[in-house]
Amino acid sequence: MTYPQPSRRQLLAGLGAAGTAALLSGCVTSTSSAKSSSSGAVTLQSNLSAPQAKAAMQDIVAAYGKRKSGDVSLNTVAAETFRTQLPTYLTSANPPDVYTWYPGSVADAYAKKDLLLDLGELWDGPELKGYSKALNSLCTASSGKKVFVPTTYYWWGMFYRKSHFAKWGVSEPKTWDEFLDLCEKLKSKGVAPIGLGAGGNTAWVASAWFDYLDIRINGAEYHRELLAGKHRFDDPQVRRVFDRWREVLPYFDPNGTAGAFQDATTALLNGRSGMMLIGTFFADAAPKDALDDIDFFRFPVIDPKVPLAEEAPTDGYFASARTGRRDGVLDLLGYLATAEAQEIYIKGSSGTVLPCHPDAEDAGTPLVTKGRKHIEEAVEITQFFNRDSSDALQPTADTALTKFLAKPKEIDSILTDWQREAEKIWKA
Amino acid sequence: MSATTTAVRRRRAATAGFHVSAGALALLWLLPIALVLVTSLRSFDDIAAHGLGSLPHSFTLDNFRQAWVDGGQQRALINSLLVTVPCVLATLALAAMAAFALSRYDLPLRRSLLLLMLGGNLLPPQILLIPVSKLSEMIGVYDTLPALIGVQIGFGVGFYVFVLHGFMRAIPAEIQQAAVVDGAGPWQVFWRIILPLTRPALAALSALSFTWIFNDLLWAITVLRSDTKMPITAALIGLQGQYVSMWNVIAAGSVIAAAPTVAVFLRFQRHFVAGLNLGAVK
Repeated sequence: MTYPQPSRRQLLAGLGAAGTAALLSGCVTSTSSAKSSSSGAVTLQSNLSAPQAKAAMQDIVAAYGKRKSGDVSLNTVAAETFRTQLPTYLTSANPPDVYTWYPGSVADAYAKKDLLLDLGELWDGPELKGYSKALNSLCTASSGKKVFVPTTYYWWGMFYRKSHFAKWGVSEPKTWDEFLDLCEKLKSKGVAPIGLGAGGNTAWVASAWFDYLDIRINGAEYHRELLAGKHRFDDPQVRRVFDRWREVLPYFDPNGTAGAFQDATTALLNGRSGMMLIGTFFADAAPKDALDDIDFFRFPVIDPKVPLAEEAPTDGYFASARTGRRDGVLDLLGYLATAEAQEIYIKGSSGTVLPCHPDAEDAGTPLVTKGRKHIEEAVEITQFFNRDSSDALQPTADTALTKFLAKPKEIDSILTDWQREAEKIWKA
Repeated sequence: MSATTTAVRRRRAATAGFHVSAGALALLWLLPIALVLVTSLRSFDDIAAHGLGSLPHSFTLDNFRQAWVDGGQQRALINSLLVTVPCVLATLALAAMAAFALSRYDLPLRRSLLLLMLGGNLLPPQILLIPVSKLSEMIGVYDTLPALIGVQIGFGVGFYVFVLHGFMRAIPAEIQQAAVVDGAGPWQVFWRIILPLTRPALAALSALSFTWIFNDLLWAITVLRSDTKMPITAALIGLQGQYVSMWNVIAAGSVIAAAPTVAVFLRFQRHFVAGLNLGAVK
C-alpha cells in the first residue's frame, strides 16, 4: 500500500508555519516587556504571603500611593517559592525592583555578586541616620556598600504560659543552675519541661538551641566566625556547646522531633510541655484568647564573662542592582524606612514584631514592651543560624542536630560529619 | 444436603469477608480526604488550642471565604483554567496527529523519534528548570501565561504521542485500507476513521492531562513570578505563611483547588475506565 506523498510535506509545512508564528509572537512580547523595565510602577516582590501579613503590606502600599511620590505594584509570592526563586529573580534580565529579605551574610552573598543596589545615599539621608549602629553594620556589605533597609525585627526567648507557671508554682530562672532546677521541678510534676518542635519541616527550630548555647558559652563573635567557616565544627569549643546541651537533654519533650513547631506550640499551650525556645512568630499559631497569657524569659546566662548576646532576626528590603527605576526604588525604600510605614505594618500584622526605626512605636502590649527592653539590654545581636550563614548551611545543621537529639553519645562522629558537610558549602 | 449448606455458608463468608475488607480499605483511603474536609470547617483558634488531630470543637465556613477572597484563589483558579484548557486541547490535538503519522504511515526514523519522545519523558524535569526559565526570558515570554502553556505542551506531548501511538497501532489496517479504496485522503482517514476509534484513549488522556497540568506547581513557579498570574497550586502554597500555617484555610483552599479535577474525573469516569480497559486487553 502506498501513501500519498503530499501529506508529509503538508505536515512539515504546517509545523514550519506554527514555529514561525510562535517565534513572531515571541518577538512581539519581548519588545513590549523590555520597554516596561524603565518606566511604570516600582515592583515590590514580597514573601509575606500569610493573609494577615499580606494585608499589612497592602496597607503600606496604599499609604505610599497616597503620598503621590511614586507608584508601587506589590507582588506577593509564597514564602517557600520566594526562597527558592530569589536567585532567579535577581539574575533575570528584567528583575523585580525591591525585595523583602534578610540583612547580614545573606544579603552580603548577593552583594558580592554585584546584584544589589547601593543604598548609601539613603543611609546618609535623615531617616536612616538615627538607626542603631548594630543595624548600620548589619546592612553594610563586606565591600563597605550599604545594601539593605531594615524595617522590623523579632526576638527569641523561652516562652511559657503565665497561668501554667503559677499553677506549677515555678518562676523564671536567671542562671543555668536555676534553669536546671526548674526543669527538674517540671519533670517531677509529669510535664515535659522543654518543648521543641523540630519535626515535620521545621527541623531548623533546633538550631536556636545551638545558636544560644554557642553565644552563651563562646560568645557572639566566635559564633559568627564559626558560621563563616573561620572555625571548625569539630573544635573543642563546639564540643563544649554540646556538653552543656546534654545536661538539659533529659528534660526535652520526647516528642520534640516528632512534630513541627506548630504542634509543639499546641502542646505548650495545653500544658503538656513547660516552655519552648522560640521566636515571637509562634504567637501567630496561638489562639487569640491565649495571647495575654504568654510570657518569656531570657535564655539563662551560662558564663557571665561572655558579653550578653540575643537572637533578634531583622527583616527588611533590598533592591536589584539592575533596576531601571533607581529613583523610584530609593523613594520607596526611603518611605519604608520611616516610622510611619513601620507602624502601619505593625498595626496590620500580628503585632509581635518590633520596628527598626528608633522613633517608631511598637504594638504596646506588655509582651512587646518586655521584648524591646530584652533586646536593648543585649550587647551583641545575632540573626539566626541560616541568616548568619546561608540557606545552604542550614540543612547541615538540621542533619547534625537531629542526629544529636536522637543519639547524643555519638557527638564526636556527628561533629566530624558536620564539619565535612559544611566545608563543601563553604568551598562552593 | 449438608455438603451444599457448608458450600453456601463458605461462599457467604467469603463474600462477607471481601466486602468487609474492601470496605475497610475504602474507608482508609477516604480518611485523609475526610480529615481535610473536617479541618476546612474548623476555626483557627480551635486547631491552635486543641491540635490538628483532635475532634472538632467549632464549625465555620469562613475559611472558604478567606481562601477565595484573601488568598486570591478566585484569580488563581481562572489562571489555572486559562492554562489548563488550551493546554489539554493543544497537546491532544498535536499528539493525536503525530501518533497518527507515526503509527499508520511508514515514516523514516519513526522508531528513533518515538524513543526520543519516551527518553524525554524519562528526563527529570528538575534539571531543565533553569534552562527553561532563562530561555523563556530570552524569548521574552517570561512571566506570561503563554510561556506556561508552551512549556506544558512541550513537556506533555511526548508522553501522549507514545500512548496514542500504541493505541492507534492496534487499529486494524483493513479499516484504513477500505477508507483509502473509497477515496479518502490522509486527513479524512485521520478525522473520520482513526480519531473516532481513538476516542476512549483520548478521553482517558484528557482527564489525565487535565489533572497533571492543573496540579502542576513546578513549571508555574519557574516561568511566572507575578501573583496575579499564578495558578491555583501556587496560590495554595501562598496560603502558607513564612512560619505559621493556618491549616483550616489551607484545607479549605485545597478543597477548592481539588474541585475542578474531581469534576473532570467524574465527567470522564466512564471513558477513563473504558480507556484503561481497552489498553489492558490489547
